[in-house]
Amino acid sequence: MSIISVNGLRKSFNGLEIIKGIDFSLQEGNCIALLGPNGAGKTTTLRMLSGLMEPTTGTITFRNGTKGEDIRKYIGYLPQYPVFYDWMTGFEFLMYVGELGGLSKKKSKEKSLQLLELVGISEAKNRKVGKYSGGMKQRLGIAQAIIHDPLLLMLDEPVSALDPFGRREVLELLEKLKKQMTILFSTHILNDAEEVCDELLFLHNGQLVESGTLESLRNRHQKSKIDLEFKEKPEKYLNSITESGLISSMNVEGNKASITVVNLDEAKQTIFQHASTNNWPLTKFEISRLTLEDLFMEVVQK
Amino acid sequence: MSQFVVLLKKELLESWRNFKWIWMPLTFILLGVMDPITQNYLPKILDTMGDLPEGAVIQLPVPSAEEVISMSLANIDMLGILILVLASMGIIAGERKSGVAAMILVKPVSHHYFVMSKWLSSLLLMWISLFLGLLASWYYTGLLFEFIPFSDFLLSFVLYGIWLSLVITITIFYNAFLKTPGLVGFISLATIIILNMVSGILTEWLAWSPARLMSYASQSLMQDGLPENTIASIVLTVLIMIVLLFTSVFIFRKKELAV
Repeated sequence: MSIISVNGLRKSFNGLEIIKGIDFSLQEGNCIALLGPNGAGKTTTLRMLSGLMEPTTGTITFRNGTKGEDIRKYIGYLPQYPVFYDWMTGFEFLMYVGELGGLSKKKSKEKSLQLLELVGISEAKNRKVGKYSGGMKQRLGIAQAIIHDPLLLMLDEPVSALDPFGRREVLELLEKLKKQMTILFSTHILNDAEEVCDELLFLHNGQLVESGTLESLRNRHQKSKIDLEFKEKPEKYLNSITESGLISSMNVEGNKASITVVNLDEAKQTIFQHASTNNWPLTKFEISRLTLEDLFMEVVQK
Repeated sequence: MSQFVVLLKKELLESWRNFKWIWMPLTFILLGVMDPITQNYLPKILDTMGDLPEGAVIQLPVPSAEEVISMSLANIDMLGILILVLASMGIIAGERKSGVAAMILVKPVSHHYFVMSKWLSSLLLMWISLFLGLLASWYYTGLLFEFIPFSDFLLSFVLYGIWLSLVITITIFYNAFLKTPGLVGFISLATIIILNMVSGILTEWLAWSPARLMSYASQSLMQDGLPENTIASIVLTVLIMIVLLFTSVFIFRKKELAV
């Protein structure tokens, strides 16, 4: 079942169109990454979904869309640079936000303590937020976004401000949260998307240029590519197979060669034959898998 | 309703933690006691400090207790308003500018309650500070001149408090659609000064103007019963406050909060 669907979404600022008509819908229980280079419109899209911005045209329908219902209670949102009341402690802020989200005082307190533990800042719970480090603020931001048990959690670049350890932890946290809610997060760090997400949305220049599961995207964009590595310069060996007509392009760099082939199976066999009869000094043979990075570059350059 | 209480409690806690609950009453008390004291000791001060020729006789009319209290009112009317506007000019605008308003309003928080909680907490702080300031003025005037009936004091306090409530409402109103606290402060003060000036010049025509409440408050000290047009002025002030509040919520809801 789709949890939110977006139709013909457009947004202009002072006549400049930032989002140029996008459509998609998110399936309940999935983890979706919103990918795109800087300035692609990721943040603007998330802000519109969270209700912080009005679309210029287009509709956003939550679930089956009960008219007039306040959808904010189903949504958890973490902006790219979360800000808090600096004079509150982390615990007070969570309590406050929890109560605003409709929890009773007792429930909110319980939940706040639990979440502070979960995001790993419970030892700083009685410190003023003004004294928190960037990473701690990010964690507090995640905690405040999920305190009212939203159905859809939206995170704007949740890990870009964190160090490698923090990133690891947040990703693991997302992995856990995936079981309880639908997650949509924007990022330009491709590994993160690959790690936790089932589905990808590629945004570029305000348009949705590609979307689907990682697997389906791989299949669609997979090119038959073979990477070889030699002990010495490979040119003289490779001459023998360039004439076979199996190769559509070849890229040699130092001792490495990357070969795009027409038919993977035939090419593999030919290369093995040549390698054994001519005794190639091979150190590596790899049928390369399309990485998200390749996909990203391809989609963005298109 | 419980959400409103949560929001209001936060506002009160915030103004407590940033010491508004200390310095604002203190400032009003200072403004309140200044006139009774200076009026009482002025002849003596002039005598000892003033560089007057030998044998010069200073004759200052001794002001009545009512006059001293209305001097305190006039004092608060200048500096008190400035302080109130400065203290509340960033109450929404500042939160919008920093982005924390977006963090809060992405939660299911009523815009109505959000604005009203800020309005009410500023109002509470103002009424209590004003009460303490005028009470100090009444008490010191009583000690140094003579005590005026407490009920007279209460009446002028209430009349004047209504005018200051409008001052706060105007500041909240500009807060709803401007993002820069300094600008909110400037435009609020400009509005109040213009209102004051115009009402002061066209006293006949604008007898119902909210800005006349200040002079009605001091007139009420001098005479029995309410000055003419006071009720009309109160009604008009309350009406303007209601309209301004509803408009602020309406405008605020339409505003895009993202920074």
